[in-house]
Amino acid sequence: MDVRDRTGRAPGAGPEAADALPDVPMLDRAHQRLGRPLNRMAMSLNSAANRALFKRDELRYIDRFGLSAEQRRAVVNRDWREMLRLGGNLFCVLKITSVDPYPMTRIGADQRRMEHESFVRDVLGKR
Amino acid sequence: MARLIAGLGTSHVPSIGVALDAGRHEDPDWKPFFDGYGPAQAWLREAKPDVAVVVYNDHGLDLSFQRIVPTFAVGAADWYGPGDEGWGVRDIPSFAGAPNFSWHLIDRLVEDEFDVAICHELDVDHGVQVPMELFWGRPAEWPVRIVPIAVNMLCYPIPKPGRCHRFGRSLGAAIRDWPGDETFVVIGTGGMSHQIQGARAGFTAPDADRAFLKDIAERPEILATLGREDFIERFGGEGAELIMWLVMRGALDDAVRTIHTHYHVPVSMTGAGMILMENGSAGTARQESTRAA
Repeated sequence: MDVRDRTGRAPGAGPEAADALPDVPMLDRAHQRLGRPLNRMAMSLNSAANRALFKRDELRYIDRFGLSAEQRRAVVNRDWREMLRLGGNLFCVLKITSVDPYPMTRIGADQRRMEHESFVRDVLGKR
Repeated sequence: MARLIAGLGTSHVPSIGVALDAGRHEDPDWKPFFDGYGPAQAWLREAKPDVAVVVYNDHGLDLSFQRIVPTFAVGAADWYGPGDEGWGVRDIPSFAGAPNFSWHLIDRLVEDEFDVAICHELDVDHGVQVPMELFWGRPAEWPVRIVPIAVNMLCYPIPKPGRCHRFGRSLGAAIRDWPGDETFVVIGTGGMSHQIQGARAGFTAPDADRAFLKDIAERPEILATLGREDFIERFGGEGAELIMWLVMRGALDDAVRTIHTHYHVPVSMTGAGMILMENGSAGTARQESTRAA
């Protein structure tokens, strides 16, 4: 899959980092399809029994869902931006924070590659 | 005869529920936000509606990334449980349904060619839980029965804004045709501006939100002519949830009376707003409580 497929940007739209996020992930169907195994795994954490299994043996649990090697690595590293880049939907992957707490606004800052404090102040406009 | 007495719109940000669970509604960060719901809570205590139709979207609980994603789905259950979204089932009462009205509504919608999915069983996520808590607090049991209507907002294609508005017209007709003597409110949930993922993560648009709070009351037909991409552009990828307020507005008469609006930004990563409109009375008695921070 090339960068254009992942970002949903037209050819010639300008230079783009190879690991760019789509502007609006929802509009990027290739991106959504890529994320299916990751999102299925994350949604399975809606069950307390599954959360216990995940905590007990994370790798074994993850491997039931057919994630790509990249997705698997992103989950294990709790690399939220990378999970989203690889098709994770935040409403799904956020469920992993029930096992390993991490604030939503930090995931926001990570996506912009900003310090949390300046993201909250300069992007969200919190005073 | 049944009467639709009001339409309400509100954000349904999950962190609101988290703040309530932690008892943080008096914290300086949260108090201005929660205080903005006081007038609507007082109005509802006085008006005592019997049934609330709650228009919401599912977020990875039952209807959005699972095996099947319905564009419009209507609950027809006796009860709706608060679902486990990954953090355990929250300590709030289950929601009693109004299944006879649900089936009447489904009949009407399909007659009008809205071929909805029918939910015999359904757990509801923060999209329903948070608005109910914002408007009715934390009662031992909810003082209204609910009819949830779920709209697909996460798996593109989402429905068109004009389609949502027309769906609301059928909902309003179904309420007017209902032979019971209950009083109804319709709650449109979601929004306001936010984009939590993608290159635009952290996007909010307070000016567009404030304009929307006027337009949804006074010029909904203009909003209904916008495209899905217009909503995404103007309010963000997730802020497009505001099309669900058009379902609520479509159910109301053309003339409404705005009782209260409230706006606060940011709540988590979202521009958070609410509106209460009495149905069918001309003119406005607008009270605003707006605060940024």
